[in-house]
Amino acid sequence: MIEMLSYPFMQRAFAAGLIIAILAAISGSFIVLRRYSLLSETLAHVSLVGVSVGLLIGSNPLWMAIVASLIASWMIEYLRSVHHLYSDSILAIFLSGSLALAIIIVSLAGSFNASLFSYLFGSILSVTNEDLAVMGIAGTAGMALLLLFFKELYFIAFDEEVARASGIRVALLNFMLVSVIAVIIALSIRVVGTLLIGALMVIPPVAAIRFGLGFFKTMLLSIIIALISVIVGLSASFFFSLPSGAAIVLCLLLFFIVALVINLP
Amino acid sequence: MKFFPSLFEFHNVSFSVRGNEILKSVNCTVLKGEYCAIIGPNGGGKTTLIRLLMGLDKPTAGTIKLFGVEQNKFKAWHKIGYVPQRSALVDANFPATVREVVAMGRYALRGVFSFESAEDRHIIEESMEQMGVSDLCDRLIGHLSGGQRQRVMIARALASHPEVLIVDEPNTGVDVESQHRFYELLRSLHKTRGISILFITHDVGVIAEDISKLFFVNQTLLVSQTPQEMVRCEEISRLYGNPSHVVCHNH
Repeated sequence: MIEMLSYPFMQRAFAAGLIIAILAAISGSFIVLRRYSLLSETLAHVSLVGVSVGLLIGSNPLWMAIVASLIASWMIEYLRSVHHLYSDSILAIFLSGSLALAIIIVSLAGSFNASLFSYLFGSILSVTNEDLAVMGIAGTAGMALLLLFFKELYFIAFDEEVARASGIRVALLNFMLVSVIAVIIALSIRVVGTLLIGALMVIPPVAAIRFGLGFFKTMLLSIIIALISVIVGLSASFFFSLPSGAAIVLCLLLFFIVALVINLP
Repeated sequence: MKFFPSLFEFHNVSFSVRGNEILKSVNCTVLKGEYCAIIGPNGGGKTTLIRLLMGLDKPTAGTIKLFGVEQNKFKAWHKIGYVPQRSALVDANFPATVREVVAMGRYALRGVFSFESAEDRHIIEESMEQMGVSDLCDRLIGHLSGGQRQRVMIARALASHPEVLIVDEPNTGVDVESQHRFYELLRSLHKTRGISILFITHDVGVIAEDISKLFFVNQTLLVSQTPQEMVRCEEISRLYGNPSHVVCHNH
């Protein structure tokens, strides 16, 4: 373990992984409770468009992923809240549409398949110092927003109508939440990969909810599950040369199965 | 002469959805200290009236004043405790304890990123005690009966120290005994804490003796001072669309 942490790339992977685990578990709790779990999966696919464009034009894929993910998150929320389209339908359209766009861009370029593989499934070798700096800054900003409006977001997740009737600015906070989630997802693709980040957001809260605790305890448990999964997953990735995202998700699944078995009805 | 300030005023308020008129030129006033009920057939616009009042829908015409202030300038939403129609229908697995739900009533009054103060804690405990749910404080809201959830939602509304309580069809999914207990609670809140009450119901008879004003809503609005006057009113049959009899039974 100590030998593993002596490598700078592992230090960066762990730092990035722990930041992502905390952010994903907190923001994931809100989207799970709002039956909006597919948002993370959809935005992850959208961020792949940004990655593809970044690789194609030689720009930092992480920044491009953030931009693509943010724009899509605002469009999704706009269509949901203003045009009252069904959430699952909007997400399905964006999910398949963005994947189609990403595939077209990749096939047009045809030269970066190896790089793209690491963005799809995550790679502990791929986290650079620049990525870590971006994660640190954007992650801190995202965390600050989530903590600042924590109780309001909880109220909205429980009862959006009464929250609005209480004078809470629901529309604004909904846009803020999807924006933060968009950034977290874009930041996560280095470590977990676009195809697997949805699991890091959704499985910890779903497993924690099985224990029948109050919201604050559920969220704390969700963070613990995400942190342990990232630590174990990254370690397995180092020792057994596995894609980091897949190792993390298998660990999360194990937690989910344990939570199900312990709390059988 | 005693002066009763107005809590809510509707001036020629209309509401339509895609050309379909739900409410037409509604004019009414609710005064401080009143105990009012709204009745009317399903689809008549009762819930729409409340949603317009709470700013959840915008009127297509007319103006609404809350506590004498134009609705779009009104900020003191904590003065209005709102319990919507489906509030007792909570997902059984939602991770929220009774205490956490009641504490939500304080959220709008607390600043951004603030912790619960001693006063907040005291008010939350007091609201739970008043509604008789203190012993349930650590239970998940989804694990309670319909009647218990209803009392928790009222406790949440009371936690903001409202001057008026608005309850939309409180008896949806609640057994008869809980309904009677619920009306007792409303009466008690009105009499002991002086909270004005406005609620939608289908069972005026049960609470007939206490109501100071009854609103009958079926696209238009008919106001009567007492349920007895409403019973005699031929407008009810006309507005319901068929002959109707309202039976007052005292409990």
